[in-house]
Amino acid sequence: MGGTEQVRRRWDRWWSRPQGLRSLLLAGLVATSGAMPQEAGAQKPSRDDVQAAYLYNFGKFVRWPENAGHGPIEVCVAGDDSFGQVMGRLVAGEQINGRRFEVRNLDRPEGAGACAIVFVDTAEPVREDAFLAAAAGKPILTVGDAPDFLARGGMIQFLLVEDHVRFSVNLAAASRCGVGLSSELLKVAVAVTGKPETGGAK
Amino acid sequence: MKPGASSISAKLMLMNVVVSATVLALAVLAFFFYDLISFRQNLIRNLETAAQIVGTNSVSALLFDDQQSAATTLQALRNSPDVVAAALVANDGSTFAEYQRSENGPSVRTRALEAGKNDEDWVTGTHVLLGHRIIFQGKPAGTVYIAAELTETWRRARQYLLIACGVLLICMAAGLLISSTARRLVARPMVDLAETARRVSRERDYSVRAAPHRDKDEIAVLVEAFNEMLVQIQNRDIALNRARDQLELRVQERTAALRAANRELEAFSYTVAHDLRGPLDAVQGMVYIIESLDKEKREGERAEILEQMRQTTRNMAVLIDDLLNLSRASTAALRKEPVNLSDIVWQIAEDLKRSDPDRRVEFKIAHLPVVEADGGLIRVALDNLIRNAWKYTSRHEEACIEFGAMRVRDETVYYLKDDGAGFDPRLNDRLFQPFHRLHSRSEFPGTGIGLATVARILARHGGRIWAEGAVEKGATFWFTLKSEASAVA
Repeated sequence: MGGTEQVRRRWDRWWSRPQGLRSLLLAGLVATSGAMPQEAGAQKPSRDDVQAAYLYNFGKFVRWPENAGHGPIEVCVAGDDSFGQVMGRLVAGEQINGRRFEVRNLDRPEGAGACAIVFVDTAEPVREDAFLAAAAGKPILTVGDAPDFLARGGMIQFLLVEDHVRFSVNLAAASRCGVGLSSELLKVAVAVTGKPETGGAK
Repeated sequence: MKPGASSISAKLMLMNVVVSATVLALAVLAFFFYDLISFRQNLIRNLETAAQIVGTNSVSALLFDDQQSAATTLQALRNSPDVVAAALVANDGSTFAEYQRSENGPSVRTRALEAGKNDEDWVTGTHVLLGHRIIFQGKPAGTVYIAAELTETWRRARQYLLIACGVLLICMAAGLLISSTARRLVARPMVDLAETARRVSRERDYSVRAAPHRDKDEIAVLVEAFNEMLVQIQNRDIALNRARDQLELRVQERTAALRAANRELEAFSYTVAHDLRGPLDAVQGMVYIIESLDKEKREGERAEILEQMRQTTRNMAVLIDDLLNLSRASTAALRKEPVNLSDIVWQIAEDLKRSDPDRRVEFKIAHLPVVEADGGLIRVALDNLIRNAWKYTSRHEEACIEFGAMRVRDETVYYLKDDGAGFDPRLNDRLFQPFHRLHSRSEFPGTGIGLATVARILARHGGRIWAEGAVEKGATFWFTLKSEASAVA
């Protein structure tokens, strides 16, 4: 029964960590936002909160190329600084596969080169293309919530379905940049465009 | 049958059945519980696997709040016939997705995983509920609960018990069959034996025998021993009866012999009294005559009568001596010693020849080995026999008296033969009885006691005597001595 012992030890370690508590809070927040929206009389999580949690969770289902580096996973929030603050409050210091999760604001598209994930807010429709262009060709997961974000070359686009935050995926754009998306992620996506027809690359 | 007769076979049967039933019941119980436990464990393991698969497949749905996807994943459990309900529970405890095989199925939300535990199962009488925490990248993403029916387990248990009962019944039947065989093989011979024993003791019939057993086992030995015992009892019975019969016969014989001896004794004492009375009467008569002669003073006649009186009293003394000899021969203790018969015969012959030198009698005396006997009594017996021969040859001018012995059938038979007056062989049996005389007293003098004395002495030595003879053809007396067997050469 070494396995369960190991699980328990890991569990205890996790439980004693302050970040662990926080992540529980995060997950609970996600769950309540979906499961019982009408009951959540206390406080319904805002769209920003949910999107921030999703962004963090995307990190768990994305495979970056080997040469993309093993440093911290940097999430760059382009535009709205308030979302960046929400994001930082929720997930800063969390780890995915031993890599720290870091959040920073991206003022100019030129700084996108070092990011792993770039989030482009609708509040930045003008510079959206510029950010996308800056990330194009690099192993950077681009996420946005503009309605035509995918059409313009974005990889994941948030949308609202029956008051729920969902997302669509442009698989072709992701694979073009060498960003691998887990089938688990695709499973829960509202729509997946640019799927390879026979499983092979284009 | 008889009350005790079937008890052994009944015990055997009971023993068989009880033993086999107990063993079987224990084995069945053991297998039953083993199977029940292992089946239940298997079920739980299968549920754990299912929970893990469901958990892994529901991670993204949980993380991205996709209840639709989660419900689809849970629907896959439809393929597991045991699973009746399942649920995905978010970390805050709210139900995220649910699956129920049928309406009004049991709820899986009756229990919750303890904090700190990742896997737990609860078993009730009818259901197994399993909780599995979904851990994704080191963090809990939610919990899966799966409930399964135990109906299959109980169905198996029922089947198991049914089969066990069947086997038990078959075993009982087999036990009965075996015990009936055992009854034939073991109990039947014993029952037969018991019946035989009962018959023997009831009817006292020792000629019955128990039927021999086919196999050479302990029962066969028992039957054999029993039969042998019966044979011995029967033999003893027969011997006992024979001994009793013989005893009665002997008592009768002895009684008859005693009676005869008594009669003989009466006759003997009568004869003795009569024979002693005769000379006394004669002496009294002569005394009377002498008294009357005294008056006439006839000296010559008186002397003649006195001489007759002397002769008469001498005869009387001889008779009394003979009676004394007979008595001594009957009562005196035997003192065995080496005795040379030939020497004794020779001495007696010499005495006789000296007492009457005018007679011409030839003695032929064989040299015989020494025998163990009472010398005094043997001398009396031989003296009587030889004087007898001497007396009955006295009418012949020349005579021959022969003494010898011969072997007749492991026995030495002595004989004394003369060629004198002989006797009538028809009177042979009276020869050795006292006072029976074959010749008149005037012909040959004698008391009639001598041969009786001889017979008595030889009888005391364990021997016997008999005679052969014919009138004027001589007589031969044959006799044996038992002590001859231990004779010294």
